[in-house]
Amino acid sequence: MTFDLGYGTNGFANHRLDDALAVIADLGYTAVALTLDHHHLDPFAADVVKQTDRLAARLHELGLRVVVETGARYLLDPRRKHHPTLVSSDQEVRIDFLMRAKQIAVALGADCVSFWSGVGSADAWDHLKSGVAAVLESGPSVPIGLEPEPGMVVERLDQALRLRAELGNPDLLRITLDVGHCVAVEPQDAAACIRQAGDLLVNVQLDDMLPRVHEHLEFGEGQLDLPATLAALTDIGYTGVAAVELPRHSHAAPDVAARALRALRAARWLADAERAVRADPGVIDTLFPAAGRAVGAGQDAARVRLLTAFADVSDDPVDGVTRLYRYGTSAERRGVLRGLAEMGDRAPAAGVALVEDALRSNETDLVAAALGPFATRHLGRHAWRHGVLKCLFMGIPLTVVDGLDRHSDAELLRMVAAFADERRAAGRPVPADALALLGKAS
Amino acid sequence: MRIFDPHIHMTSRTTDDYEAMRDAGVRALVEPAFWLGQPRTNVGSFVDYFDSLLGWERFRAAQFGIAHHCALALNPKEANDPRCAEVLDVLPRYLAKDGVVAVGEVGYDSMTPEEDDAFARQLELALRHDLPVLVHTPHRDKQAGTQRTLDVVRESGLAPHRVLVDHLNETTVKMVADAGCWMGFSVYPDTKMDEERMVALLAEYGTERMLVNSAADWGRSDPLKTRKTGLAMLDAGFEESDVDTVLWRNPVEFYGQSGRLALEAVAAGAVDAATGSSVLRGER
Repeated sequence: MTFDLGYGTNGFANHRLDDALAVIADLGYTAVALTLDHHHLDPFAADVVKQTDRLAARLHELGLRVVVETGARYLLDPRRKHHPTLVSSDQEVRIDFLMRAKQIAVALGADCVSFWSGVGSADAWDHLKSGVAAVLESGPSVPIGLEPEPGMVVERLDQALRLRAELGNPDLLRITLDVGHCVAVEPQDAAACIRQAGDLLVNVQLDDMLPRVHEHLEFGEGQLDLPATLAALTDIGYTGVAAVELPRHSHAAPDVAARALRALRAARWLADAERAVRADPGVIDTLFPAAGRAVGAGQDAARVRLLTAFADVSDDPVDGVTRLYRYGTSAERRGVLRGLAEMGDRAPAAGVALVEDALRSNETDLVAAALGPFATRHLGRHAWRHGVLKCLFMGIPLTVVDGLDRHSDAELLRMVAAFADERRAAGRPVPADALALLGKAS
Repeated sequence: MRIFDPHIHMTSRTTDDYEAMRDAGVRALVEPAFWLGQPRTNVGSFVDYFDSLLGWERFRAAQFGIAHHCALALNPKEANDPRCAEVLDVLPRYLAKDGVVAVGEVGYDSMTPEEDDAFARQLELALRHDLPVLVHTPHRDKQAGTQRTLDVVRESGLAPHRVLVDHLNETTVKMVADAGCWMGFSVYPDTKMDEERMVALLAEYGTERMLVNSAADWGRSDPLKTRKTGLAMLDAGFEESDVDTVLWRNPVEFYGQSGRLALEAVAAGAVDAATGSSVLRGER
C-alpha cells in the first residue's frame, strides 16, 4: 500500500465545497485536505452535524480520503488573520475550535486534524504546551498533527519533536509536514525531514518553495526535489494523505490542480524508476526510453537522474551508457549527453567518444547538448572549437556552449573571423553571435 | 484540408517534397520500416535505419512543421534472408521508443515459412508492446495473401481494430471489411489504386475504418496523392467532414491506439526553425 495524493480545499477558496470536491476527484486525486472555513463546512454553523454527515457521504461517493486542516485565516476573528492561536492569551478559543475539528474528523472518518502553533515569542512555549495538552484531552480521540510553520513558535521539525517529547510523547500527537516549508526553513532537505519524522508522520502537504521565502509555489518553481521527496515517503512506508497545498492559487484552481497532478505523477514515475534501476540496473534499457512519455517536458533531467542511478550501481556503466546512446532516439541521446556533466567524469574517454559522435550529427539538439560542461572539461580543444563553429553554421545560439567566455582562445577567434569574412564575401549576413564573440575580443 | 499520411517513406524523399506536403496540408505522417530497394546484408543496416527513422527523419520533418512517427519491423521480403532475420532480437528495444506508433510493415511477400515465422513473432511483439500493427499485403497472389494474413491475425489474438491491412484494392477490401480490421489504400500514379477508383470504393464501403496513403518511396510515386484523393472526394460530392474523416481522423484514431501520437510538430530544439539549421541551409 502506498500514500494517497490529494489536494487542499484552501486552494479552491472560490469554489463551493461540493464543486471543489468534484473537480479534485475528477482530475484523479484520491484524497482531499479539508480546511474548515466559513464557506467550507463552518464548524460554528447551527446545522454543522447535518452538513458533516452529508459531506461524509459525498466523500465516500467520490472515493476521496480526507484529512482536516485548521489554517483558515479569518474564521475565529474577522480582523486578525489566524487569531487567536495556541500562543495567544485567549488560546481557549482556538482549543474550542480544534475540539470541534476533532468531532468533525471523527464524523468524516478523517485520518487526523492538522494544526500549527501560532506566531509569538519563544516565551510562549509553556503556554503553547499546555494548550496542546488541552487539545489532546478535549473531545474525541483522534490523531492531531502538529505542523511546523515558518514564522511561528514551532517552525521546524526539531521543535515539534521537542514539544512532543516534553509532553511525554503522547501517542495521538503526531507530525504534519509541509515539504515546501522544509525547503524554506529546515537545515536539511524535505526527504531527510520525512525520514526524521518517520512513523510520527500523519499528514503531508506538498508544494514547492525557495529557501528562506515562505511562499507556496507550484512544483518546478522552487527548489524542492519532488521525486526524492516522494521516494522518501515510500521509503518510510508512509500510507497517509499527501495533499497539494497552494492556498494562494484559488483564482486558477482547476488548472493549477491539473498541473500539480501531472507533476506528481511524473515525479512518482521517476522515483519508482530510480528505485528500480538501483535494484536492477538492467531495467534502464526500457525505462530510459519510456521517460519521454512518462515525464514529458522534464525528460532530460529525468534521464540524467536515471543515468546517475545507473552509473552508481552498474558493474559496467561505460558499456551501459554507450549502449543507451547507441540505441537511443535523438531525445535519449540528448539525455545521455546532458548526463555526462554529472557522471561522465568517471570514464572521460567513453564520454568523449559520444560527444564526438553527436558533433558529427546535424541535429541541432544533439550538437547543443554535446557542448555542455563535460565537453568543456574533456573534449580536445580542436574538436571543441569546431563544435562552437558548427553552432554558428547551424544557427544554434552560443548560449548553449558551456564556459564559452572562459575558453575562447586566439585560434577560435581566428576561425570565427574567417567564417565572418566568408559570409561577407558571399554577401550573406554574419550571425549576431559571431559578431558578439569577435566584439568581446577586440 | 488537414492531412495525416498513414504510410509514406520519407527517407526516400527530398525537402522539396516536405515543402510541397506542408503546403498541401500534410501535418502528420507515419513512416513504416520497409525494404530499401537495395537488399540489406546484415542487422546493423536495420539498426542504422531504425535510428534514422527515430532521429534524423523526425528532425527533418519537424523543420517543415510535420509531426513524424514511425512503425518498425522486419519487412516480409527480408524476413527470407537469414542474415537479416536476427533483427527480430533487436526490435523489442526499439518498440519501446517514443515516436513508434505501430509494428510494421509486416505481412507476406512470397508467403514462405520464413515469412510465416517473422509475421507471427512480430504480431506477438505488438501484443507485448501494446502497439497496433500495419500489415503489408503482397503484390503477387494478393487475394490468397490477404486471406492468409487475416487468418494469421485471427490466430494471433490481436483484436481486429488494432490491425491496419494495407495496399488493398477492389478484390481484397471486402474480406478485410468483414474481418473488422482497418483498411488501407495506397494511391499511386500507375499501380495499386488511383483517385477515381478510391472514391468509388469510399462510395461503396463508406468512410469508417478507411485510410488513404501515398506510400510514396524511391519508386515512381506521389506524396501528394492523399490531397488529390481528398479533392476527388469533394468533386464526387463527399462532404468536407468525410474527407477529414478519411485523411485525418481515421489515421489519428488508428495510430492513437499506441498512446504515443504527438501531433504538435516536434519542436526543433535548441534552434528556432526560422533561424536556420543544416536542413534548411540557413536563412529563409
